[in-house]
Amino acid sequence: MMDRKNSGEDTRARRVKRNILTNMIVIPLIPLFLAVGISFYYFTTALENSSTNSLKRIVGDHRDMIESFLMERKSDLEMVTNLFDFESINSSQVIDNMFEVLKTKSGAFIDLGLFDSRGLHVNYSGQYQLTGKVYKDEFWFQEVMEKGRYISDVFLGYRNVPHFIIAVKKGEGETAWFLRATIDTLYFDRMVSSVRIGRSGEAYILNNNGIAQTGRRSGGVNVMEEDQEFSAFPSSDSTIHTFLKSDPQGLKFLYATTWLEDLEWLLVVRQEKKDAFRFFYYALYASLVIMVLGIAIIVGMSFFMTEKLFTRMEQLGRDKKDLGNQLIRATQLAEVGEMAAGFAHEINNPLQIIKSEHALIASIFEDLYENKKIDPEDQEILELQDSLSQIELQVSRCSDITRAILKFGRKNETRVQLLHPTDEIPEVLKMIEQKASVEGISVFQRIPEHLPGFMGDASQFQQVMLNLFNNAIDAVMEQHPDTGGRLDVQAHLKDEKWIEIRVTDNGAGIQPENLEKVFSPFFTTKPVGKGTGLGLSVCYGIIENFGGTMDVTSRVNEGTTFIITLPKAATEKQDQ
Amino acid sequence: MDKMKLMLVDDEERYLLTTAKLIKKKGIDVVTAQSGAQAMDLLKSHDIHVVILDIKMPGMDGFKTLRAIKTLYPPVEVIFFTGHATMDSAIEGLQFGAFDYIMKPADIDDILTKAYEAFGKRQRLEEKIRGLTSKSERHGLDE
Repeated sequence: MMDRKNSGEDTRARRVKRNILTNMIVIPLIPLFLAVGISFYYFTTALENSSTNSLKRIVGDHRDMIESFLMERKSDLEMVTNLFDFESINSSQVIDNMFEVLKTKSGAFIDLGLFDSRGLHVNYSGQYQLTGKVYKDEFWFQEVMEKGRYISDVFLGYRNVPHFIIAVKKGEGETAWFLRATIDTLYFDRMVSSVRIGRSGEAYILNNNGIAQTGRRSGGVNVMEEDQEFSAFPSSDSTIHTFLKSDPQGLKFLYATTWLEDLEWLLVVRQEKKDAFRFFYYALYASLVIMVLGIAIIVGMSFFMTEKLFTRMEQLGRDKKDLGNQLIRATQLAEVGEMAAGFAHEINNPLQIIKSEHALIASIFEDLYENKKIDPEDQEILELQDSLSQIELQVSRCSDITRAILKFGRKNETRVQLLHPTDEIPEVLKMIEQKASVEGISVFQRIPEHLPGFMGDASQFQQVMLNLFNNAIDAVMEQHPDTGGRLDVQAHLKDEKWIEIRVTDNGAGIQPENLEKVFSPFFTTKPVGKGTGLGLSVCYGIIENFGGTMDVTSRVNEGTTFIITLPKAATEKQDQ
Repeated sequence: MDKMKLMLVDDEERYLLTTAKLIKKKGIDVVTAQSGAQAMDLLKSHDIHVVILDIKMPGMDGFKTLRAIKTLYPPVEVIFFTGHATMDSAIEGLQFGAFDYIMKPADIDDILTKAYEAFGKRQRLEEKIRGLTSKSERHGLDE
């Protein structure tokens, strides 16, 4: 029944504890998640936008730059064709001069050539020997004949080196002629790939067949090789597209693409996703770290606080229970005391009668002796006399008992006076000497004669000593039922201020887990009815009232020592 | 000097009987009463000096009897005889004018010693009163 009640209380306590813990963890976690989540969302969205936008801006700017470069080179040639006619250019001196002028304007020019309408390379200035070659069937020649001006893809041509050309036509029909300049692919490459974004950002150009027109920083696809990814890129329009895509190696890239105006070239700017969004990842890691730390702190604190709260609550509960029990026991004790006093009173009346009867008998005997009616030497008379004296003795014993009970029931007023351990302790020892010797316990006392005194109430001090001695005897009897028991009482001056009294037994000792509780009220290890559990707590209170302390050390099966420390009386000095 | 006249008041009959016998053997006049009421009756007809009075009695208890005695016969000395000598009841008794208290069980000699002390007090008081009255008588004659 009791167990069920206790386990029920335990379950309830555990449930309350779990609820408190859950609330303490969950409630602070909600704002944490919200705060970190919302800021993470907005922060990363902003970061993503800014990464994408910056890539867009770069690709746009770059496109404008490349377009204007090509436009300028074309304009250079157009200017020449507008200022000079075929004949004036067709002198090697002039074309060389022209080439020099153009080169100073832009280092991108490699050579300059003049062609007639049949595709004959009429004149050439540059490092190759191309004069006299016929280009009638070359693809670029067809294009320029048709369109009037042309910028080629990169090709190998007669020189067998990747290059691309800009050609401008002047005149119509048979009299038409062309000026063609070759652009340095290295120069162009450098210009295109000059884009530097983060660690992995790069820019390159593909033609409308997906053939690479420039190299790229990361290598991979070289000039004039086909880019496998091309098919996935948006088809020709002038807007800028951004998207995420894995390259054939499986690396994720953020791409921005745009087609160049008038040209069938696609400018691609790309950056590894990890690189482009590195701040996104930083934010993610930071959020995760904050989250984990936050959770750890909240959980840790919750456990700590709950544990603390519960320990306190349990302590309060125990205290309350203790107090309740104490009250009940105190009431019981008071009732028992009152009852005992009542019994004592009632017993005193018959005792008085017995006493009177005894006195009467004794008096009658005296009369009989005086009148010589009986012989005082008679054996039977002597036996009667002896029996009579026993009645007197036993009545006085009873009367001692009832007086002791009545004294116990009385509310004692304490009378503080100077007490000397040298006087008080032996007096108490006398009371238990008989009991101790019957139980085979040797009592030793070592109390110096000139030990100074302390202030206290004599009967209270006797009560403390008696309690300790009785406890010691009980403990010794448990350990040494027949012989070999030992009770040591020592008193000495601990230092200038304190007197120490040690009561040591070689009894059963106190279990370590009980050692802390021996001074708690109603703590007892004795069987029901054998001890109230009040003794030591009362002793403790008495010694504390005297301004002293009480302590205990014990080893199971070896014995226990109670140590009383009392302040040396100040009046001692005045006495001397 | 007058002979002491004692009265024992107690609800225990046997006690009264035995104790009275013992006291009489010592040559002291003694009467006994089993209740407060009987004691008051006896006081009317006897000139009692000292009353040994039990506190706990049915009907009229020791305190009531003490008050009645002190009201009607102020010179009579009362000694409380109790099985429960608490400080409180003793003090209470003394406040009501009891001479002293004795705790049960007591030796007959102790009881008589206390009784003689009370008797002595009464004697001194009576002498004083006598002295005072004779002085005033003389004083009256002088006038």
